[in-house]
Amino acid sequence: MDDSDEALMARVARGDERAFRELAGRHLPPMLGLARRILGNAADAEDVAQEAMLRVWTYAPRWRPLARFRTWLTRVVVNLCIDRKRRAPWVELEAAGEIIDPAPHAGAKAERDERDRMVAAGIAQLPARQRAAIMLTYGDGMSNSQVAEILDTSVSAVETLLVRGKQNLRRTLGRLIDEDR
Amino acid sequence: MNKDQFEVFLEDALKRVSKAPADDTAAAERVLKRLSGPLPRQKMPLWRLPNVLLDWQFAPAWPRVAALACCAMLGFAVGIAGLDRQLVYSDPAYVAGGGGLGTIIFEPDPLTGARP
Repeated sequence: MDDSDEALMARVARGDERAFRELAGRHLPPMLGLARRILGNAADAEDVAQEAMLRVWTYAPRWRPLARFRTWLTRVVVNLCIDRKRRAPWVELEAAGEIIDPAPHAGAKAERDERDRMVAAGIAQLPARQRAAIMLTYGDGMSNSQVAEILDTSVSAVETLLVRGKQNLRRTLGRLIDEDR
Repeated sequence: MNKDQFEVFLEDALKRVSKAPADDTAAAERVLKRLSGPLPRQKMPLWRLPNVLLDWQFAPAWPRVAALACCAMLGFAVGIAGLDRQLVYSDPAYVAGGGGLGTIIFEPDPLTGARP
């Protein structure tokens, strides 16, 4: 039996709950990770992932395989994250370096982790679309055209989002690094 | 850190911070558990609607069609006869005889024109 995403979606469109559960089990973990990175909040990410999967079930009869299922689902998740009314509080990365690491270059690693936390905090302050573009580009390694398809915009608009996002980060991080000195 | 070093740091940091985390199986299990309940009704595609409307297979529902026909007949009869007309007025002899009480009292005399 063909167990590709598209074949499973065809079965879901006919009301096959087993196919839906298989599809959800396959795509839920990466979608949860994406939502968590964009929202910065695990609880909200779970809500978004659940809502996205329910939309898969609800709209399956209307779904047409014009794009890959994974691309469509990623677009649903990103849009739900962007539409999230409440701005989710950013969950900081796990605190590192509290215990003194005897390994060589431990100090450098702690310093890098601290700066990464600054970057994460800077990303948390970005507008949702800029944040989503950065996460999809740097986190998932997508091309600008793939990101444009998911964000339902043009490639040049994605480039603009990335440029403006990095400008905002430079502004924030430049100040933080100066304060750090 | 000069400007060039900062640019390199920013690119590397973005890759590290944005990196997809390891799959959180516990969270995925929680969501799957929430999805295990009854699922909502699916939305049918709009292009299926004409097929529904063009389905003239009334055979399994003939009692409903009969009830609908009876209601239509009743409605037609009521519409013709009217509910606001008393039965006495529907007597053909009464109607041919010249009308009701009002004409008896208020009709002027045909010769003198005097009103009662």
